[in-house]
Amino acid sequence: MKCELCHKAEAETAIQKKVDGEDQELYVCGSCAREALRSDETLAASGPAVAPGDSSQRLSALPLMGMILDAAFEIVGRTVSFSDQTCPVCGITRSEYRKASRLGCPACYEAFAKELDVAVEEMHRSLQHTGKTPEKARALWQRRQLEQALDSAVKGQRYEEAIALRDQLRKLEKPDAGREGDPA
Amino acid sequence: MLNLDMGLLSKKARRVSDDGIAMSCRVRLARNLAGERFPDWATEHDRERVLGKVRDALRVEAPDFRVGPISACEEQDREILCEAHLISKDLLERSAGGGMAYAADGSVCVMINEEDHLRIQGFSGGLNMETAWQAADALDTRLEAHLDYAWSPRLGYLTACPSNVGTGLRASAMVHLLGLRLLGEIEAVVRGLERMRLLVRGMGGEGSEAAGQIYQISNMDSLGSDERTIVQRVSRICAEVVRQERNARERLIQESPLVLLDCLARSLSVLQNARLLATSEALEFLSAMRLGTSLGLFTRMKVSDVDKLILMMQPGHLQKCLGMTLTPDERDEMRAEYLRRKMTNVKLKG
Repeated sequence: MKCELCHKAEAETAIQKKVDGEDQELYVCGSCAREALRSDETLAASGPAVAPGDSSQRLSALPLMGMILDAAFEIVGRTVSFSDQTCPVCGITRSEYRKASRLGCPACYEAFAKELDVAVEEMHRSLQHTGKTPEKARALWQRRQLEQALDSAVKGQRYEEAIALRDQLRKLEKPDAGREGDPA
Repeated sequence: MLNLDMGLLSKKARRVSDDGIAMSCRVRLARNLAGERFPDWATEHDRERVLGKVRDALRVEAPDFRVGPISACEEQDREILCEAHLISKDLLERSAGGGMAYAADGSVCVMINEEDHLRIQGFSGGLNMETAWQAADALDTRLEAHLDYAWSPRLGYLTACPSNVGTGLRASAMVHLLGLRLLGEIEAVVRGLERMRLLVRGMGGEGSEAAGQIYQISNMDSLGSDERTIVQRVSRICAEVVRQERNARERLIQESPLVLLDCLARSLSVLQNARLLATSEALEFLSAMRLGTSLGLFTRMKVSDVDKLILMMQPGHLQKCLGMTLTPDERDEMRAEYLRRKMTNVKLKG
């Protein structure tokens, strides 16, 4: 994504700017972000700005999750140029959920995994659930994984692997199938 | 006068128990349905559908529960539910699809379509967090048979805000820490708790001030530890906070009895004489009454009486009790009158 101010360099961070009296979030390159911070005219009176590597600026007034996500974007944004991604299931955009500090649907965790993993780890100091496992949800998840693996094996013409995966799927559908003493 | 008071105070110090310090606790589980938008981004139709699914599951698994949309409650009743911490302000503001369900004995309450599709809350008195956890866990396990929860092996239960992802569990205790406040030690305790990754908030939860020195202490992390470990950790740390408050009260009695007595006498005097009292102001004085009663320093008043007054003097409860709708100014007048009446025969011992 190109910087929304100079339209030349890649955007690295987000700043808030007053446009026609309204606060707007703009994705800008590091140079424009620093320029915006220097200029009283550009920087909104109440609008916080976040620029990479500059700790002397005013604190962001974004909600806590927004602040943590900002930090995540800085890390992610240095290696990968981001675009305003959209969750394929609920249609919410990255900037929308950041502003609301709420995700749109469970699938957002996959859609925005790159930045969310950084934020989740920052919040919880962990990225691995170790608690309760709902049996129905676990089975559904296992089934989806097998279906995806089967699809990939078929496409790759790995037929022995595909047969094994198909058998595993059948066992999931009929848990009793294949047990000793079962009627044929 | 001072000697007499000190003698009495010394005796009472031995009676200080955690009854008056740990007020109540709660364990909440955040759950969402797979394939559904989270409530904040859902349409009214989506939320109604989720409410219907949850209601159907509750009818089978918890037939004795009362279930219904929040919109079916009268405005005053909604306020009362909020003041009793059974539901949140966010749920009150939900235009459509917001609902609640609760057990007749008050041990469990479910908020439907608040920030998450379900917020299952188990309650208990004092620091019996295990009881609250078991109540919430049991209902959650029963509902799971009927509802497809959004869950992943890596991140656990998927929630609208990543701060709740994982177990979706928030274990919290409400504690009254006026002793530490009077000794000027509360800030250090709060800082210590925050360093141990615990959240310290006011009585009203997120974003609220600790009015009346009533604090809500809860876990910050919901991912990475299992439910029982989180519950036991919060419970253990809160028990330590209670011990510190008890110690502060004993030191107040031994080392600064005048500070304590002055605080108690002033509070009683205001409650017995004021003609106008705002909620926050009344809570500050009732907080002192609570400390005094837990130390056995007031006649004709128990800690449970003060807790009842703290609830009853809040706007919704007050109006319900009086059977009328009042403006804020009228409420301040009626609150002062109500508390004056309740305090008529109360005296500071000694």
